[in-house]
Amino acid sequence: MSYITIEGVHKRFVRRGQWTEALSNIQLDIEQGSFVSFIGPSGCGKSTLLRIIGGLMDAEEGEIAIGGQSPQELLKAKQFGFVPQQPALFPWRTVLQNMNIPFEVNRQKVFNPVEQGDPIKLLQAVGLGDFVHAYPRELSGGMKQRVGIARAFATGAPILLMDEPFSALDEITKEVLMHQLKTIWEEHKKTVLFVTHNIQEAVYLSDKVVVMSARPGRVSRVIDIKLARPRDESVIGSQAFNDYMAELRESLRERWG
Amino acid sequence: MSQSISSRIAASEGKTAEKTSDSVSWMTRVKQALSSIMLPLITFVILFTGWELAVRLMDVQTVILPPPSAIFAELFTSISFYMPHVGVTFYEAMVGFVIGTVLALIGGVVMSQSRLLERMLLPVAVLAHVTPIVVIAPLFMIWFGFGTFPKILVAAIISFFPMLINSTTGFRSVDESNHEYMRSLHASRWEIFFKLSLPGALPFLFSAARTCISMSVIGAVVGEMSGASKGLGNVVMVSANYLQMERMFGAIFLLALMGILLTNAVRIVERRFLAWHSSGQ
Repeated sequence: MSYITIEGVHKRFVRRGQWTEALSNIQLDIEQGSFVSFIGPSGCGKSTLLRIIGGLMDAEEGEIAIGGQSPQELLKAKQFGFVPQQPALFPWRTVLQNMNIPFEVNRQKVFNPVEQGDPIKLLQAVGLGDFVHAYPRELSGGMKQRVGIARAFATGAPILLMDEPFSALDEITKEVLMHQLKTIWEEHKKTVLFVTHNIQEAVYLSDKVVVMSARPGRVSRVIDIKLARPRDESVIGSQAFNDYMAELRESLRERWG
Repeated sequence: MSQSISSRIAASEGKTAEKTSDSVSWMTRVKQALSSIMLPLITFVILFTGWELAVRLMDVQTVILPPPSAIFAELFTSISFYMPHVGVTFYEAMVGFVIGTVLALIGGVVMSQSRLLERMLLPVAVLAHVTPIVVIAPLFMIWFGFGTFPKILVAAIISFFPMLINSTTGFRSVDESNHEYMRSLHASRWEIFFKLSLPGALPFLFSAARTCISMSVIGAVVGEMSGASKGLGNVVMVSANYLQMERMFGAIFLLALMGILLTNAVRIVERRFLAWHSSGQ
């Protein structure tokens, strides 16, 4: 049963005075409560696609329906939790005050903070229980990104859009955050659209990996990851996991250009 | 295993955070306070002692350069003469500062929101800025008389430009991903302005305010020197005409003191507002 339906989406940009096809005829179905990764070379339009689904950009052609509604309607109803590549934390606000931004930008009373996830509990879940009143400059890059992820879950928004949240982090931090994200997600079961460059991340976290290729940006393959849930580290290095990694690497290599 | 890695990392990160807060102990704070007050004070003591000795040893006449001791003596004995003039200059500078910066902030908001308006308004502001204020001040005297209003006007004009440029830049310097995050929450233009652009611009606004507040004192004095019966600028002019050098230097010292105190007042407010910012520490 498809929740997000993407039909024939096209997006063009002017680059150096010429029209370039950023996205060409994207067709995709995404189920509710699934974790979907978008992977591909830079310039394949994966971040653009994420923004079009999230109502932050418009497509020139095509239809996107999310539970029968348009991305704009969902944006107005605050159904998206956005985690950008650079953690969007305001430096003059403490961690907790940053967690509260979605509830303050809320004149239409879409969110009822009482019914949402407890921000302090979520911060504890990502190991930041002692940093609730710290300012962003006191946090490392990994800690900032964890606040961003906890915040996305705290609003209770059903669709979380994550644009390469781990790409600026070192390998060890990246791995720790990957496990934490998986743990929170398995508890909350939101629909997550996750843009990444990292093959291991994509296989470990996802139910479905969308492989994209560049010039023009399009979907070259969709791979279903049928590893059992809940997953833990032991799955990494298993035969099935390695097979998925190899399959993904292969399909990326033939499209890389 | 994942738990152990994550807790270990959290622990090591926690340790670094603790260490930084520990190192700012009261000892270092006292040291910082001492060095920020004592060191400049030592410099001034050396400077004034040198001045005093030079005047006495070389037997310089008071009409050329009075010794600091004579200037301070004049300041203490004639304080009741100076105070009304200090009050007038302070009033003109402050009212001018407030009018100039408030108008500049409004201009900054407008110009940061619209490139079209920026292109229309900025040339006028630049023109007002590059025209030497000293040549405009006598004009204001002819138009508006010898009262405080033309001085306030000069102070306002002189403190307008730095704030206009800094606030426009400040309101524009919004972090791209913070802005996009606000858009993803369907924030309105004004919610984005008040929750993101304005607090983010505060470092720019305070750095401009520090410049503007000392400029506004200069503006008030320039206004007074083109025609006034009150104010420290007037005291300087009159005592220069009568070669009352101690009195003239007394007024100059008071103006310098006013500038220092006002700049530091802005700095204190800045420190309270910008604890989160590195310039506010």
